Amino acid sequence: MRRLALFVLLLASPALATEDLVSGLSQDRIEIRSNYNGTDIVVFGAIERPASEARPDVVVVVRGPESDLRVRRKDRVAGIWINKNRVILHGMPGYYFAAANRPLPEIAAEGTLRQYGLGLDALQPKAMTGPHALKPFLDAAIGIERKAGLYAQDDDAVEFLSGTLFRARVPLPSSAPRGRYTAWVYLLRQGQVIDVRSSELTIDQTGLERRLYDFSQEQPLAYGISTVLMAVGFGWLSSLAFRKS
Amino acid sequence: MEIYLPIAQMSVHWLVLLGLGGAIGFLSGLLGVGGGFLLTPLLIFTGIPSAVAVATTSSHVTASSMSGALAQWRKGAIDLKMAAVMTLGGIAGTFAGVWLFAVLRRSGQMDVFISAAYVVLLGTIGGLMLRESLGALRAARSGGSTPRRAERPWIHTLPFKQRFPASGLYISVIPPVAIGFAVGMLSTVLGVGGGFVIVPAMIYILRIPANVVMGTSLAQIIVITAAATVLQATNNHAVDAMLAAWLIVGGVIGAQLGVRAGARLRGEQLRMLLALLVLGVAIRLLYGLVATPRELFSVSGS
Repeated sequence: MRRLALFVLLLASPALATEDLVSGLSQDRIEIRSNYNGTDIVVFGAIERPASEARPDVVVVVRGPESDLRVRRKDRVAGIWINKNRVILHGMPGYYFAAANRPLPEIAAEGTLRQYGLGLDALQPKAMTGPHALKPFLDAAIGIERKAGLYAQDDDAVEFLSGTLFRARVPLPSSAPRGRYTAWVYLLRQGQVIDVRSSELTIDQTGLERRLYDFSQEQPLAYGISTVLMAVGFGWLSSLAFRKS
Repeated sequence: MEIYLPIAQMSVHWLVLLGLGGAIGFLSGLLGVGGGFLLTPLLIFTGIPSAVAVATTSSHVTASSMSGALAQWRKGAIDLKMAAVMTLGGIAGTFAGVWLFAVLRRSGQMDVFISAAYVVLLGTIGGLMLRESLGALRAARSGGSTPRRAERPWIHTLPFKQRFPASGLYISVIPPVAIGFAVGMLSTVLGVGGGFVIVPAMIYILRIPANVVMGTSLAQIIVITAAATVLQATNNHAVDAMLAAWLIVGGVIGAQLGVRAGARLRGEQLRMLLALLVLGVAIRLLYGLVATPRELFSVSGS
């Protein structure tokens, strides 16, 4: 929907299309190895043929692979707290980061932010299942994901290196899910989106971690038996080692 | 150095993993229990998803039980026939446990169920053990002998009697199979070896002599936790081999140190320590169930 809106906007205002963006990523592939502890990527870009002396606004949004989030709320039942209410938020990003060069509410009106999904306040599921009001569950889910470092927003993270050159550092924690990510760069003037560019990024496991994961998924029986053999072997070795000493 | 755990999909520092495994191993060597009942909550506290914590703890218990069982085997302190009979019930219990585990995970009540089950179990056993060990300590001080419990005749009225020469028993196979089943199920759902349930049950219900209890329970715990690991891997894809390896290396070293430390303490003192530890965990978990949580909401992926 966001892309459609943009397309319509670009068609409707051909004069604005002369000012545009180029952008890229410091890495288009992140490989998870045994000592992986998250990483930073840099989204950078330049504004071509600036329409005026005044500096435009840049918003960077990085979205991870979509999944369904089950959000549960505890309630007290007979003295103990149990998960009683549940909703499923469909099509939520597994990772979400929004960066801007100044506070988002100053850059554009709430309607525009919501339309393009700019900022945590504009984050919406594609659909939801459950007999409850969306807002408290969505707010709670966003809050929890923020604490986990999976959702974030930083209103100063877009740095202008010159009048037209900019970059934003994007922190990816080790718990960020594997899969395809998209980094969107939005160029705005006077609260209007002028141009948008996107780049793709893949996070994947490699080496031993990859083989272990594939093994556990593809041959779970052999994987389980191997784990047991490893445990039995370690137990046996330790009893040998310590008997002699 | 952080270690990336491929199934848990997160990084944990290797010292944390080795230290956790080592501390639990030390306790298990010292007190003669697998320590799973402590390791699972600690792993969850580290941020590891509870399904992965439960499933992976099983393989840690396999390793520490193997180490302990071999030491007992050299002393000839294992009743293999009894272990085999209990294991039969245990394997069936594991299948029931994996099924229950999947049902609980789907319903979203797993964490609450695990905590509540621990509270009931640990509270009961810890209380009984504390009373028993305090009584034994008092009896030892006053110079008297530990009071003998009256025989429970109902065990001897059951059919399918078998001789267990190593234990010097002639009893029905139904109670050992039933105990095995209950512990197998518990073991799978809670990620524990069940030593803290099985040892009292063998002593007080089956009346197996104290010298073969430890070895026999360890022998059957190896089989039960091995079965639990394989079933968790095939049904729930929740066993993290990388996590298991680090915990096990710490665990087997800690266990041997614990055995040495334990040799300097008296049996009643050890049992009282274990009782206090078990009660402490139960109270902590009970508090977690009853106190108003700081975060009412929780999120899990699909």
